[in-house]
Amino acid sequence: MRAQLTQRMLLSLVLGLLFLSTAATGSCSGKYQGLLEQLRSQADYMQDTSRLLDPYIHIQGLDTSGLKEHCKERPGVFPSEDALWRLSRWDFLQILNATLGQVLHRLTTFQQDLPQLKDLGMVMLYIRGFQSNIHCMCQLLGSSSEAAKPTQASPAPPLPTLASDAFQRKLEGCRFLSGYHHFMHSVAQVLREWGKSPRRIRRHSPRQALQKGAHGTHLFSRGRRLAPSGQLPW
Amino acid sequence: MAVFAVFQTTFLLALLSWRTYQSEALSEPLPLTPESLKVSINSTQQCLHLQWSVHSLAYHQELKMVFQIEISRFNTSNVIWVENYSTTVKWKQVLHWNWESELPLECATHFVRIRSMVDNARIPEPRSWSSWSSWEEVDERNSLGHGALFVFPKDKLVEEGSSVTICSISRSYQNNVSCLLEGVQMRGEQLDPNVSAFHLNNVPFIRETGTNIFCTTGRGDGTGTVLFVSKVLEEPRDFSCETPDFKTLHCTWDPGSDTGLPKRQPSQSYTLFESFSGKKILCEHKNWCNWQVAQDSQEMYNFTLTTENYLRKRGVNILFNLTHRVRPMTPFNVVFKNISDTNATMTWQVHSIGNYSTLFCQIELHGEGKVIQHNVSIKVNGNYLLSELEPDTQYMAQVRCGDANHFWKWSEWIGKNFSTLEAAPSEAPDVWRNVKSEPGYQTVTLFWKPLSKSHANEKILFYNVVIENLDEPSKLQLHSIPAPANGTKLTLDQCSYQIHVTANNSVGTSPASVIVVSGDTGNKVEEERVNVTEDGFSMSWKPQPGDVTGYVVEWCDHPRDLPCDLQWEKLGPNTTSTVISSDAFIPGVRYNFRIYGISTKRIAYLLEQKTGYSQELAPSDNPQVVMSNLTSHSFTLSWKDYSTESQPGFIRGYHVYLKSKEGECHPGFEKAILPDDSVSCKYKIYNPEQKTFVVENLQPESFYEFFVTPYTSVGEGPLDAFTKVTTPDEHSHLLIRIILPTVFCVLLIMIICYLNSQWMKEKCYPDIPDPYKSSVLSLIKSKENPRLTIMSVKDCIPDAIEVINKPEGSKIQFLGSRNSLTDTEITQPAYLYLLPTEKNSSGPGPCICFENFTYNQAASNSGCCGHVPVPPEAPSQLGLLTSPENLLKVLENNYMNSLGEIPAGETTLNYVSQLVLPLSRDKDSLQTDPPVPALCSEYKMQMAIPLGLASPPPNEKSSVSSVTLLDQGEPHH
Repeated sequence: MRAQLTQRMLLSLVLGLLFLSTAATGSCSGKYQGLLEQLRSQADYMQDTSRLLDPYIHIQGLDTSGLKEHCKERPGVFPSEDALWRLSRWDFLQILNATLGQVLHRLTTFQQDLPQLKDLGMVMLYIRGFQSNIHCMCQLLGSSSEAAKPTQASPAPPLPTLASDAFQRKLEGCRFLSGYHHFMHSVAQVLREWGKSPRRIRRHSPRQALQKGAHGTHLFSRGRRLAPSGQLPW
Repeated sequence: MAVFAVFQTTFLLALLSWRTYQSEALSEPLPLTPESLKVSINSTQQCLHLQWSVHSLAYHQELKMVFQIEISRFNTSNVIWVENYSTTVKWKQVLHWNWESELPLECATHFVRIRSMVDNARIPEPRSWSSWSSWEEVDERNSLGHGALFVFPKDKLVEEGSSVTICSISRSYQNNVSCLLEGVQMRGEQLDPNVSAFHLNNVPFIRETGTNIFCTTGRGDGTGTVLFVSKVLEEPRDFSCETPDFKTLHCTWDPGSDTGLPKRQPSQSYTLFESFSGKKILCEHKNWCNWQVAQDSQEMYNFTLTTENYLRKRGVNILFNLTHRVRPMTPFNVVFKNISDTNATMTWQVHSIGNYSTLFCQIELHGEGKVIQHNVSIKVNGNYLLSELEPDTQYMAQVRCGDANHFWKWSEWIGKNFSTLEAAPSEAPDVWRNVKSEPGYQTVTLFWKPLSKSHANEKILFYNVVIENLDEPSKLQLHSIPAPANGTKLTLDQCSYQIHVTANNSVGTSPASVIVVSGDTGNKVEEERVNVTEDGFSMSWKPQPGDVTGYVVEWCDHPRDLPCDLQWEKLGPNTTSTVISSDAFIPGVRYNFRIYGISTKRIAYLLEQKTGYSQELAPSDNPQVVMSNLTSHSFTLSWKDYSTESQPGFIRGYHVYLKSKEGECHPGFEKAILPDDSVSCKYKIYNPEQKTFVVENLQPESFYEFFVTPYTSVGEGPLDAFTKVTTPDEHSHLLIRIILPTVFCVLLIMIICYLNSQWMKEKCYPDIPDPYKSSVLSLIKSKENPRLTIMSVKDCIPDAIEVINKPEGSKIQFLGSRNSLTDTEITQPAYLYLLPTEKNSSGPGPCICFENFTYNQAASNSGCCGHVPVPPEAPSQLGLLTSPENLLKVLENNYMNSLGEIPAGETTLNYVSQLVLPLSRDKDSLQTDPPVPALCSEYKMQMAIPLGLASPPPNEKSSVSSVTLLDQGEPHH
């Protein structure tokens, strides 16, 4: 148990430094594979429910029978994995960046309500670092003039207004975190596919994704696919 | 003018009539009905809020009235609450009243009505109620929205241990609503087809984020609510205030549990109110608060500490005189001055608490594992002389102060470390010696104990040993022994010596410890046993006449080891007893103590020797018992090698166990049951020095078992195997006395006879000549079979047989001719020659020559046997005799017994025999009779020939040989 905790802390430290390295230096790495690898690792880290969802459920007392079942992601809050697959890389990054901005906003309210959620501050730090890497990837993929600026470049997708009573807020928070982790899992899946052969990558138009896709993705429908740089798969 | 008059009259009439009306109203109950009743709901407080007014009141009129309020639930007939509310009502006043509902108001329709009655003493009884107002209905269910299921109250805040009612509203009649409190089903009450209530008593605090209540219908949809349960607000404990400087008051308290709930209720607040000054401050901290002392020399303070949260408010009060609540600030600037090896001066400063105030300070000195307290009164600066310190020792001194006039509390401690200076060892080392006298010299081993830290005063670097020859004072020796040695060995002659031992550190030398050794080996004393008590070995000795400066008791902590770890205890001259104890003492080990007296000349002389065990044990081993003198009635046991000194207890004697088949015990023995539950006879030997025992009264030819074990005061030795013994026959010794001489005599006679027989034999029956030297072996050698076999006569084909009649000296020759033997007269005795038929004259021929030296010794010696040529073709007149078959038969008949069981071809012996022929025989008889030995004829001797010696030397030509090897057809002479 102690060893696991130490391992986890070590991983957190490494990833934290990884996230911060880009954000702190302010300069982007020009290596596509390196950046992609970082994005993958960071997405893998953020899909781990032990970071936020599991402690949240425990703190709120939702880990009882009857309540756990109501802690499932509500469709439409986050873009579905299918919708993400259909996006161009550029649009994918735009939507990812905007969604993470909204997540940050929501986590800020958590931070005020739930000081017991110890990892929350660190997770928010990681998300900001992840957004910086998205920014760098956008720069690699296309024109830097239209590259997404972290957190403020894209409008945040609307999230359901907070319920008035505490019970519903508990459930909504739980569902939100469940959706967040699932969303990051989908992001990791897509990013994992980016490193493979171009022929194997599923590619659909963003419009298709929007028609079928999640509730929040319509905010990013303006995004256009930019020409990738020469050495990249597209 | 007339108009004015009419108006004035009308006004007066009106005024009169109003006065009349008013007087009537005061004298009778007034029908003042509450009007404008409005009912609203405060969901957060779960309160019904009523407001109404009494319109009938006159201008500026004030009336004390009673309002009766009725509340119904679900329908007007279900009245659940009736309350009278008394108040003074003013003109145009809007009245308010709240009612807190146990059941959440959202879950039921409530109806409210009100009536009033004047409660005025001037109005005589009976007074009457006004009429009821109309029912006012309050129903929140219409505004709930479109959910299927609702649970109330929402986010209710309650204290731990309180009671709460939860209600659920279902839109459908068919829904069976069940509610869980933290996953545990709650028992509900159906208030209405759509409404259920769940009563919770003594709700616990589970978590800060609230207790979850989740309700669900049978169709899977569900909702819930959170009950925020806070800890009960506690009254602050240990509330007190004190001042360090008459400028500020520092008030502290124990707040108890925090009742704060995130986002629902902040932690309880604390306010401090002083009643004399009327000042009030909100404390920023939950357990302390600072109050600025007024400059107006206020001495008395009455503080009220109030704590409150959303649910409760509590307060505590203290009243005190400021001068009695002085706690000085921590002293500062602690310095140690004038530090020597045993003294140091401690100085410190304190913060002033007033011009004339005196402080009482306490100093604690920590060092050497001890704490010493000193008290001192000071004004501003304090100092204290710390004396009687140990040299070269680290100390920690700390000081704290309190108000000497009205002591309230000590200040905090402030302390500092310091070390005293080093000094020379203050005490002589404790020295003892062990003297071993050898011829011409003595070996003195000095031992000393390390000085205690308090006496060493610093690390001991070395010990100086000065040896002074008392017989020749000019001779001095100095030995420096580096620490941490605790002894040294000296070899001295037989003179008397005075030895000075000092311990030295870097500062100086300790006083000397002096002992004297002389060449006298001292007297020998008897060893006594020492008493053992719970405290150790208790020993005493007789006081010595004359001047004795002290006594020394000496012993070894580990007597079985080398070195034995010599210990000693020095005692004063008036002491004649002591108790020796040591952690090293172990049970079962014998300790020897020697008590010395020390003379005024510092010479130690042995007074007494004592020995004992701290705890005796049973013997660990048994003696090796030797049995001797075994007779049919007794035997002797002895174990003289058994050492009683090395046993784990004083051997008090021995037990001899004896077992017999009869099971009867002999006199002196008693029956005993052994540890293995067997029964034996036991004899007790009470003298440990007796190490032999004669077991008597035994039965002859009987089986006994014995076993000897020592015993101490604790018990006997381990049970070993019994030794078995069988007593001999009673007459056997007699027989031995007779038989042995008889046998000896017989043997002697036999030896004499044997010797005589040899002589007789040599004289009467001389040995047959050595067959090895006989030429017959050459015949055997010529055979194909290299192995020596029984010589067979039939293997020989005689060519001629010569029979020599010695007296006549004639001889018959068979020269290979076919001449008949009848032509020749045969005389006796005769030699029989078997001549070879083969031509090979060089090798041994298949010829056997029988010689009978017994009967013809002279002939034998003549060597004539080899001089008779026998032609191969010579006809044999003794054909029957010399034919292999006949000859073999003869031999076989005579030799069969001699051959015994030895198979032919395997035996390593060959037999050669001599044959005696009949002395007088005619040729016929010779021809016809087989060569059966006659009765008078005999084989003188049989002889065994070893295989290796079977081949005779080729040049052998012995005079005694009766075999002549002849080449066939060639005569030999």
